[in-house]
Formats: sequence, structure tokens, C-alpha cells
Amino acid sequence: MNVAHLAPLAVVLPFLGAALAFVLIKHPRAQRRVSLGTLTITLALEAWVLASVWTTGPVAVKLGGWEPPFGIVMVVDQFSSLLLVISSAVSLAVLAYATGQGAADGEEGGPVSIFHPTYLILVAGVSNAFLAGDLFNLYVGFEILLTASYVLMTLGGTGSRIRAGITYVVVSVVSSLLFLIAIAMVYGATGTVTLADLALKLGELDPGTQNVLHILLLVAFGIKAAVFPLSFWLPDSYPTAPAPVTAVFAGLLTKVGVYAIIRTETLLFPSERFNTLLLVVALLTMIVGILGAVAQTDIKRMLSFTLVSHIGYMIFGVGLASVLGLAATIFYVIHHITIQTSLFMVAGLVERRGGNSSIARLGGLAKLSPILAVLYFIPAMNLSGIPPFSGFLGKLGLLQAGVADGSAMAYVLVVGAVVASLLTLLVMARVWNRVFWRSTFDAENPDPVLLATAPDASGVRTMRALRSSKHVDATEGRFSGENEIPILPNMMLYSTAGLVVLGLAMTVFAGPLFDLSQHAAAGMLDRMPYIEAVLGAGAGTP
Amino acid sequence: MLIVLCAHFLVAILAPILFARLGRSAFYVLAVVPGSSFIWLITQYEKVYSETLPGPALDVDWVPALGLHLSFRMDQLSWLLCLLVLGVGSLVLAYCARYFKSGDAGLHGFGAQLLAFAGAMFGLVTADNLILLYVFWELTTVLSYLLIGYARTRIAARRAALQALIVTTFGGLAMLVGLIMLGESAGTYSLSSIMAKAPELVAATGGARTVLDVGIALILVGAVTKSALIPFHFWLPGAMAAPTPVSAYLHAAAMVKAGIYLIARLAPGFSQTSYWQLMIVVLGLGTMLLGGWRALRQHDLKLILAYGTVSQLGFLALVVGLGSREAAMAGLALVLAHGLFKACLFLVVGIIDHQSGTRDIRILSGVFKSAPKLGVVAFIGAASMAGLPPLAGFIAKEGIFQAFLASAAYGPAGPVIGWTVMVGMVAGSVLTFAYSARFLWGGFGQKSRGMAIAFKPVGWLFLGAPAVLAVLTLLYGLLPEIVERWIKPYSAQFPAYDPNGLHLLLWHGFTPALGLSALVVVFGLALFFWRKKLEILQDKIPPVIDFERGYRQAIVALDMVAIWVTGRTQRGSLFFYLSVILGTAIAAVVAVLLLTEQTWPADIYLLDMESPFQAIAGVVIVIGAIAAARANKRFTAVLMISVTGYGLALLFALQGAPDLALTQMLVETIILVAFVLGMRSLPPSMLQRGAGGHRILRMVLGVAFGTTMVVVAIVAMGARIHDPVSLSLPKLAYEGGGGLNVVNVTLVDIRAWDTFGEISVLAIAATGVASLIFVRGRGQRLPRAETVETGSIGKLPTETFQATIHLAKRFAASRSNPWLVAGRTLAPERRSIIIEVVTRLLFHSMIVISIYLLLAGHNGTGGGFAGGLVAGLALTIRYLAGGRFELAEATRITAGTLLGLGLAMAALTAITPLFFGGYIFQSAILSFDLPIFGQVKFVTSTFFDIGVYLVVVGLVIDVLRSLGSEIDQHEEDGIGGMELIEDDEPLEVGQ
Repeated sequence: MNVAHLAPLAVVLPFLGAALAFVLIKHPRAQRRVSLGTLTITLALEAWVLASVWTTGPVAVKLGGWEPPFGIVMVVDQFSSLLLVISSAVSLAVLAYATGQGAADGEEGGPVSIFHPTYLILVAGVSNAFLAGDLFNLYVGFEILLTASYVLMTLGGTGSRIRAGITYVVVSVVSSLLFLIAIAMVYGATGTVTLADLALKLGELDPGTQNVLHILLLVAFGIKAAVFPLSFWLPDSYPTAPAPVTAVFAGLLTKVGVYAIIRTETLLFPSERFNTLLLVVALLTMIVGILGAVAQTDIKRMLSFTLVSHIGYMIFGVGLASVLGLAATIFYVIHHITIQTSLFMVAGLVERRGGNSSIARLGGLAKLSPILAVLYFIPAMNLSGIPPFSGFLGKLGLLQAGVADGSAMAYVLVVGAVVASLLTLLVMARVWNRVFWRSTFDAENPDPVLLATAPDASGVRTMRALRSSKHVDATEGRFSGENEIPILPNMMLYSTAGLVVLGLAMTVFAGPLFDLSQHAAAGMLDRMPYIEAVLGAGAGTP
Repeated sequence: MLIVLCAHFLVAILAPILFARLGRSAFYVLAVVPGSSFIWLITQYEKVYSETLPGPALDVDWVPALGLHLSFRMDQLSWLLCLLVLGVGSLVLAYCARYFKSGDAGLHGFGAQLLAFAGAMFGLVTADNLILLYVFWELTTVLSYLLIGYARTRIAARRAALQALIVTTFGGLAMLVGLIMLGESAGTYSLSSIMAKAPELVAATGGARTVLDVGIALILVGAVTKSALIPFHFWLPGAMAAPTPVSAYLHAAAMVKAGIYLIARLAPGFSQTSYWQLMIVVLGLGTMLLGGWRALRQHDLKLILAYGTVSQLGFLALVVGLGSREAAMAGLALVLAHGLFKACLFLVVGIIDHQSGTRDIRILSGVFKSAPKLGVVAFIGAASMAGLPPLAGFIAKEGIFQAFLASAAYGPAGPVIGWTVMVGMVAGSVLTFAYSARFLWGGFGQKSRGMAIAFKPVGWLFLGAPAVLAVLTLLYGLLPEIVERWIKPYSAQFPAYDPNGLHLLLWHGFTPALGLSALVVVFGLALFFWRKKLEILQDKIPPVIDFERGYRQAIVALDMVAIWVTGRTQRGSLFFYLSVILGTAIAAVVAVLLLTEQTWPADIYLLDMESPFQAIAGVVIVIGAIAAARANKRFTAVLMISVTGYGLALLFALQGAPDLALTQMLVETIILVAFVLGMRSLPPSMLQRGAGGHRILRMVLGVAFGTTMVVVAIVAMGARIHDPVSLSLPKLAYEGGGGLNVVNVTLVDIRAWDTFGEISVLAIAATGVASLIFVRGRGQRLPRAETVETGSIGKLPTETFQATIHLAKRFAASRSNPWLVAGRTLAPERRSIIIEVVTRLLFHSMIVISIYLLLAGHNGTGGGFAGGLVAGLALTIRYLAGGRFELAEATRITAGTLLGLGLAMAALTAITPLFFGGYIFQSAILSFDLPIFGQVKFVTSTFFDIGVYLVVVGLVIDVLRSLGSEIDQHEEDGIGGMELIEDDEPLEVGQ
């Protein structure tokens, strides 16, 4: 028994934290401490687990001690533990951000007191999905995170959130239904749901049946991952949620879908039957997604579209099915989790500072808040794939894999990826030009918050709005008190900065991270390490 | 080397502090960085040019998996360019200290960016790795974006910055793909290894050669955009929105030279690839002529220089890219000369602008008289640009003419192309001469009608930087053999075309090149002399293609396409999204079914004749589903959905799954109650279901989806060749899980982890429902019945319900609490004595049953889930009978606490085994003797089941509190229904 066997604690600990947070529902301060503490401990544990599997193969944890394929197994390999660490780090940052926001706005006793337990359960669900070595348990992981996300999405219950929430909930329920049907079919055909067991038994089925099961799973996961044409719901639902919620959704939820697609393609159905289809889908996702971003006038909506577009990059790497392609996808996933989340966090800060997130109504933020400008510019360039940032490195890996593949389709994808990258840069720079560079007075119909707080030489901390100012948007309940509150609370700035720095760290330590991704990719394409870890040595050979 | 690089970036990061302390003088501190690096560079001369000593180099791994190493190598070509980059960089930074005022906004950022830019340029020309080169390449692009946009509040500056960014990044990305193609075909990304391998690569044939050709062409696209050759030249004049020092450095000496550098770098190996000569000659020559032509019609001094730069860059690309020994020599000579004189001239323009407030040659007049020293400096620069002896420009141009004469005579391209290029080149030089004259005359001349303009005296410090550059230009012209020695090792890599070789000399004797130079002067003077007529002529010739407009139109077209595509896909309608999703699912599955060969099971039967009730259950489900879909009233729809649920329960029961049947029944009941409670505040009828077409589409989609899934099920079930794991479960459940009820053991032991996850789903679903209803705060208050007046809750409005109230009062005589704790709080017309009595009788027995189910579950029918549901139903009954205060009195604990306790209990059960060295959720069977009961076998997984029980009870309480009590209160307070949603989908209640 080694450290990796403690990996299920990544799920249990947040559950315990959530339980505690439920009990402490009347004590917001204690609640906050519990959830921050829980996630910190979880992160430390996951980092330890990652270190322990850094150089080894997958480790199977048999829950309850039941032997697979009868009981449930969790599989800790390099890929899953890497994702665990990154997702927990990001969740922790977002939690700190949300806490800062809540503390600043004095939401104690409001409906937001359920935020903490729900958030912890969301994190637990994400971790569970990453660790699941069992198809049905993967579904359970999805259910956990989705149900928690329904609650978070509609937090506060404003009309627009409920409207967006309905789109989100119904689409998600349909995708879960599809997934459930797919599981039923898979079980019907093979009589097992353990992934490793499936890896062996699916291959022995009639190829026609394999194809049907394969496509069913792909469609179900495609909705969650938001690939074209199953992605339209996403930009209509994400941006309306509260800023921290959007941030964590953008970072994590679609990636769980991508994760599931990767496992499906490498472990369950290693034959490259649908790779051309995946490449076509990747191309359309990239292009249609980024065109959507070009058409937007609101930062949060625009970011939702870049989110969709860049999912295409990840599918690109999966579709290539080479070690380098898959490694680049893995690297791109962790990069994108971090960067997309930090950008949404920045968008939330911009919204606080400027009163809204419409590009036309903002201006002069570089002068008003230089820190915010830096916090936007670095991840924006990172997302646009500007070197030396991690976004560039991931893209570089994908392009190299595409060129190495050499097929006409791969070259088309290379061109598509480059075009998407250029357009991402275009939209990011447009935001910079307008929101940050141009004068505040050029903003059309600016929000009073933007104008009311004149720039102050001594920096961010002094930028405060009178809570009592009546013209401030009251529906959000942000400024409802007597005291002065900081517009950009330190906690929010620090947590955002933390993620930006994490993104930079990925650039600096890209070497070891990419090596790890490559090992993970090679192991996943080989499949045997995974299968033997679960079913015992020699399981793959009859 | 690393120190030089790091120093630039580190000091750039520290720059804001320096500016805060020193004001604009901080620029001097910044200038020290490239200045001292320049000195270091000079000291490296020995190493770089020695054949035995190794040159300065560095190699650190960064991302080896991607072939990305931090490898730098200073060879002669790098060394030459570093001279420009560091030398001019240092001078320009020093110049900034006088150009800007201390109070200028954003100076710290500007200084930092400019210094970082110098560092990036240094990295670019010394990088020995293709990808690393690209890293610095794009860094310069981004920094240039920031620098051009220095005057951020001016829309012209922002636009020009964005345009430069997009255009150069476009080329950059093309180049990236090209670099990758080159790197992949060479098998390495090391620049020096690739150059060593070049002959081998070029010798390849077929596909490999095509990859190489296209790759090199794409790299050239990058060079072309960066160095502002047509058709991308337009960004450079636009970039003149930048402060003048930026123009001097980025757009004359450094960044635009990056493209030329790249051409020079690759030319020794790849000038013979298929598209090289074509691109270089056509674009280079075209740019040279177009730039010169345009320069002659500008009135802004800076724009004259900008178009002049465009022209010169075309010239440089043409010469450097030719691939002969003489051209390489002359080309690099011109790179140096151009860097010196163009930076000098830009800085002069900056001074003119700064001292007089304008750069318009129609306004400027008599500047020479006011500032003769400045005039001399400018004259040296302009004369060098025009190619007059004894200056650097003359030396270089003379060499170029000689090189191209040789190329035309002996070059591989043949005389026709050779002479065409020669003629074009001479024409370009004539234009260059003419605009140089125009610049001098425009900037300094005394215009016939114009008054001498007010001009502040120029301080020495300000003039210093351009003066140094002018002096260097002169020195270069007088001592060209030194420059020749610098370039020689580089040019030696090329084949010589001219048997006599080429030497950089001031005086070659009476050669054809000298004749051409003289020709250039004569025609140039003529063009300048007839400038008025020329301007008229220029206005008559419309620009053939306006590339800048092309760029703008492309962006507009992009926006239109984007809006069109987005409008088609983002319809904002849930119906549309669902149709796409279901349509995709159907299409994908059907396509796979049709396109790949399927084997169908041999014995398909639709009805199981041995169990006729199955058919009945099936019919019930189908009828329920159809009726639910057709229902117009919410209540009917919900009821019909429950019919399908109960039908399913019947199916479970028939298939011999009593546990599933029981749970399904209980769940259906609870859901029905929740729905009915929740629907009280919704309008009874559902909104119109949209147009008829959609209705049919909905039907088709629904039926098609169902049918497809049935077919898939048949295929999947028919394909089974392995025994399912479930066959082994009963044995495992008894031996390992200590229970006879295999369903329950599976839930709480074998697959406890799934259950663990699902109870958290329940807990969250409960909170979610509550959070939507309790808009004013979570339901943490636990109201007491004592506080309420008897008969005050839920009074019906007297006027509308007179008869009902009258009737009720006659029969519901009780005003006290004989049966229920808080029954008295309800208004008499809401009470029913029968229900109260029944509730009184049922409640406790139901709780007992629920506990029985919880405990018995391990061996018999039941379990924590079913038990919890029964307890929940018991509470529901009490709520229905006695109202919300009855519920509050019955549960003196918040739902949140219950949920929390349940979750905690489950989680603790999960981790406790860890402390005993077991796996998470490992269960143990404890056997012990109890008096009376005898031997008792207790399985630890029961604790987990208790957790499940608590969570389920918590869920039900939460649902009753929110959908029941809270909505009661909303109605009493007159808050009214929930906000209406346009869609007709009912809100989902968990699971």
C-alpha cells in the first residue's frame, strides 16, 4: 500500500468538508475556513500522490477491497493525478476568490451560505470523475459535479440565471441520459463496467457493435466537452453565473468531458476508427467557436466562446492518436484549465471595476488599475498562444504532431489551429485595446462605478465605492451597506494572481511537465500498464 | 551571454521602480544595459571570428520533448546584427531621456518594454534553435504592439498597434508552421544542425522535398510580414503612430531587420529551394519600387522615412536573398549602413517634432538656419541613404550594383531575369535618392513662401544619439575594409559568381557600378527637381491595389462571417439546442448502424409469453408517456409521468427485483408530492408549445430517438459473448459482504462508492431546490408553533370561499391539538379531522417501519434508501395534515444538519478502515452475543446505510420545507408565484 492508495481521499475529504459546511451553515466564517482548509489539505495530498506516481505506472485502488471487475476501482495514473492536482489548485484559487468576493460584499446569511458545501461537492465530483476506473462510477462522478453545478449556476435565483440554468440543466440531463443509455448498452454487450475489463472485452465483440457503443459514448461525452455541434448550449449558460462559478465551470467541467473522451479513445476503443471524424469535429469546434468569440461584445460571453474553440485543440491531439499528439493534448488540458479560469476571474474583476462586462461600456482600465491590466494581459497572451507561454508550448506540440502525422487531414487541422490561434489573439487584443487602453471617456454609456471612482495614484486598495451610492447595480446585492468596501478586494486579486503565476510556472517547468505528459500518453496508448494494474499482471494475454 | 539576456529582462522588470525614483533620467540607467552589453560584444570579437576558439554559446534544456532548448550561439552573422541591436538600442534609450518629459504617463511601462525589446532582439539573432527563435520573434511582435500603442488614448495608435500585431502574427504563425515542417523534415530543431544538413535536405526528392519547399516558403512569409514587404508592408507606415524612438529602433534598426536576418540565416542552405527566388525577387523588387514611389508623395517626414524603410527593406531582402558571395557581402554591408542612417534620421525627425511641434514638410521651413548642427547630422544620414560617397550607404550600394552585375552576367538565373532585376534595382535607387532629397529639403529647406518656423534650440544630450550614428556612418564610409572583414566569414558560405570577387571599397576605379551610381544621382536629381510635376502625376495614377484596405475589408468580412455563423448556431433556444443534440445522436448512431456491418441476434421476440403482465406494464408505460407528452395541464403531465414510473416499478417487481420495485414506488411518490407542492405557484396550463412545424419535429425526434435506442439495445444485447459480472455477485455478497440481499450489499458495500457519490447528489439536489425557493435566506429558522395564534395559518379569503369556510367550520370543530402537535395553527377550513387522526396513527408506525427497513436491508428487502424514503413520507403526511408548523415541530433539526450528518457518517465509514490498514470502504463483519437476541452478526457497512438514511430524510425535509412551507408562506405574504420562465420545461428536482 503506497500513497497512491490514498487517492480516493481526494473525493472523501471534500465530502467531509461539505458535510461540515452543511452543519456550519449558520456560521459563514467557520464555513469559509473549513472549505479553504479542506481544499488545501486535499491539494497537498494530491500533490503527494502525483509525486508518487510521477515515474511509476498506474496504481489501482480497490474500493472496499473488492476485486475488480466486481467492485469499483479507482485508477491513479500520471494523467489522472496530474489533472487532480491542477484541478484542485484551480478550485482552491477560485474558492479564495469567491471567499474574497463574499467577504467584501458581506453576503453572510444570504442564500450564498450553501455555496461552500456545494462547491466542495463539485470539486469532489470532478476528482471522482478523474479517478474513476469504472464506467458507472464515472457516471456518478459526472452526476455529482453536474448536480452541484446546477445549484451553483442558479445561485441567487435571478431571472437571467434561472433562464440560463434551465438551458444548462436540461442539456446536461439529456447528456447524462445518453451516457446512462450508453452504459446500459455497454453492460448489455459485455456484462461489465470496469474500464480495464471493458478494454479487454469490448475488443472481442463484433466490430459493428463496437462502433455503435463507441459512437454513443462519444456523443454523450461530446456534449459535456462541448464539441461542435454539441457545444451551442455552453455560451448561453456559463456567462450568466456568478463570476467565480463561471470561472470554475470554464476551467473544469468541459475538461472532464475531454478526459472521458481521451479515456474512451485510448483505453476502451484503441482502434482508430473514428479518428478522422474526431479531426473534423476538432476543426469545426475550433473555427466555429472562435468565430463566435469574434462576434461577441461582452467579455464573459467572448471567453465562453474561446473556451469552446480551444476544446477543439484538445480533440485535435486525441484524433492524431500519436504519443506526441496525446501528450500535447494532456499538456494543453492542464494549461487551459488554468488559463481559461484565470481569464474568467479577471473578467469578474473587470466587471467589478467597470460595473459590467460589456466591452463597449468599458475603458481606461489600464490606467485605473495597472494590476488588473497585467493580470489580464499575461493570461490573454497565454491563451492566444504567444510564446513563451504554456499556450504556445501546447499548441507547438499539437502542430508538431500534426506535421509529423503528415496526412492531408492533419495539415488541414494545422492550418485550422493556426487560424484559431490568430483569431484568439485578435479578440484578446481587441479587448485590450478597448477595455484597457482607450480612455474611460471613450466608453459608451459607462457604468457609474467606472466613472465614480476616479483613478488614484496610490493604487488599487484605495479604489473604493461608497456602498450607499444608490445608482450602483443593486440587483446583485453587491453594494448594500453603509461602509466603504474595496472594489477589488485583495483576496480576489491575490487568488487571480496566484493562478496567473501558476500559468507562468507551467511555462517555466514545461520541460518536466511535458515529459510527464509524454510518459502518460505513451502508457495510455500502450494500455497494458493500465489493464494490468487493475486486473493483475498477464491479464491482457489470454 | 545568458547574463546579457537576463539583464535586459530583469532590469525591464525593475524599470518601474527606477522611473519612480529618477523620472525620465531612468532611461540613462536602462541605456547602460545594452551599452555595456555592446562593450561585451566587442570583447567577444576574437572568439567569434577565431577559427580555433569556440564562439560564445549556451545550451540549456527547456522542453526537450518539443525540441525546444535554450540554445544560443553567437556566430559572425549574429555578431553583426547584435552590433546594431545593442548599439542602436543603447543610443535610442539614452535619447528617450530627453525626448520624453518626466510627467509623461506610462513612461515606466514604455521604458521597460523598450529594454525588454532589446533583449528579445538579442535573443532572436543569437538563438540557435528554430523554436527559440520563434519565441523571441513573437516576443518582439507583442512588445512592438505595446510600444506602438503607447499613445493608448488615440484611436489611430490603438488601431495601428492592433494592425501591426495581427499582420505580423499572421506571418509569424505561417512561419511557425514552416519552422515545424523544416524541423520535422530535418529531424532536429537546432539551427546549426539544420544548416549543416541543408544540402542533404535540398537534395531530397518527392514528398520530403515538397514539405521542405513549402516549409521554407512559409518561413519566408513570416520574414516578409515582419520586414514589411508587400503585400504586408502597410503595417509599417501605420506603426508610425508610435513615439519616434520606437520607430527609430523597431522600425528601422532592429525589428524589421528580423525578417532580413532570417533570410540571411537560411540563404546559405535554402536559397535554391523551389519558391525562394520567386518570392524574394518578386516581393523584394516590388516592395523596393512601391515603397520608394509612395515615399515621394508623403508630407509627413516620418512617413517619408517609413515608406523609405519599406523600400529599403525590399532592397535588402532582394540582395540578402540572392545567394551569391558578392550579394551576401554587399547585402550585410547595406544592413549595417541602413541601420545606422535610418535610425539617425528617425531620431532627427524626433528632434524636429519635439522642438517645432510638427513633422509636416509643408509647414516646416528654415529649420537648418535654426539648428545647423542638426542639419549636418541629417545631411550625413540622408546622403548615406541616397548613396553618396564617402558614406556607408555609398559603399554598400556600390557593392550591390557590382554583385548584381556579376549575377546578371554569371548567375544561375540567366541574363533576362538578371538584367530585369538590375534595371528595377537602379530605378529603386533613383527613387531612394529622390526621397532622400525630399526629406532633406522638406525638413530643413527654406521654402519660398514659408516663414521660418519657431524652433527651440537643441541640447547636446538630445542631439548626441543621432550625431554618434552620423559619425559612425562617416567612419564606415572611410574605413569600409573593417566592415568587409566582419562580413567575410559569412559571405564565404556562398558560391562566388564574380570571378574577381567583391571588396568593399570607397574607390574601385571607373567601374560599371560607379557609372550606375552616377546615373542614379542624375535621375534622382531630376526626379527631385520636377517634384511638383511628379506629385501631379502620382495623383493621377490610382493605387492599383490598396493592401491596407484589403486588410480592413478582410477584418470586416471576418466580423460579418463571425456574426453570420454565430447567428446560425447560437439561436438562444433550448429547443434548437436539444434538437441539434438529439439529431446528432440519432444521425451518428444511425450512420454507424448503416455503414458498418452489424450482426443481428437470431432470436428476437417482442413479447415474453411466459409473463403476460410484462406486456401490461409496457402498455401502461407507453400510454403514460404519450399522455404526458400530450398534456396541456402541468398536473396531468406530472401525473402521467408518475404512471410511467409506477409502470416501471411493476416491471421490476415482475422481473423479481422487489428492492428496486419498492424503491421505485417510494421515489415516484415523493417526486409526485414534490411536483404537486411546487406546481402550486405555477400557472396550471403550460405555455403554447410553439408552431405546428416544431410540434411535428419534436414528435419525429422523440420517436426516432426512441426507436434508435431500441435498435441499439437489440444489437448490444445480441452481441454479448461474456458472462456478466452480476452472476457472481450473490455469492460475493454473502461471503464477503455478509448479506443475503444482494441489491443492498451491492449498494452499501460492493459498490458503496457509487452510493456515496449519489447521496451527495441527493444532498446537493435538496440544497439546490431550497436555494431557489429561499430567496431571502436559507431555511435555518426553526419556527415554533407556540408563537402562532390558533387557526391563523392558511385562511382562505372570506369573500370567494364563503361556502367552503362555512362548511368547514361546521365539521372541523376542534380548535386545539388533540391529535397533532401544531394542528391548531391551521385555519379551521384547512383542517380535516380524519386526516389528522390517520396521521396520528400512521406516523409512528411508519417511522418504525422505516427503521426496520434500514436495519433489515442487509438480508431482506429494504435498506437505508428505502427506509429514509418511508420516514420522509411519514413526515410528508404530517406536513399535509398539520401544515408547516406541524412540520417544524416534527423536525427540530435543520435539513442542512441532517444532510451534513449523513454525509459525514458515510465519509467516516469510508475512511475508518484506512486506520486499520484496510481499503477505503472495506467492511468488517462483527459477530457478538447479545442477551435475549443471541448471536448477532453486524456488518460495518450498516453505518454507511445509516448515513444514506439520514441524507434521504434530510432531502425530504428540505423539499417539504422549501416547496411546501416556504411557498405556503410566500402565498400568505402575497409574494405570488415564482418568476415565469418562457420555456415549458418544468424545473428539474434533483437526480
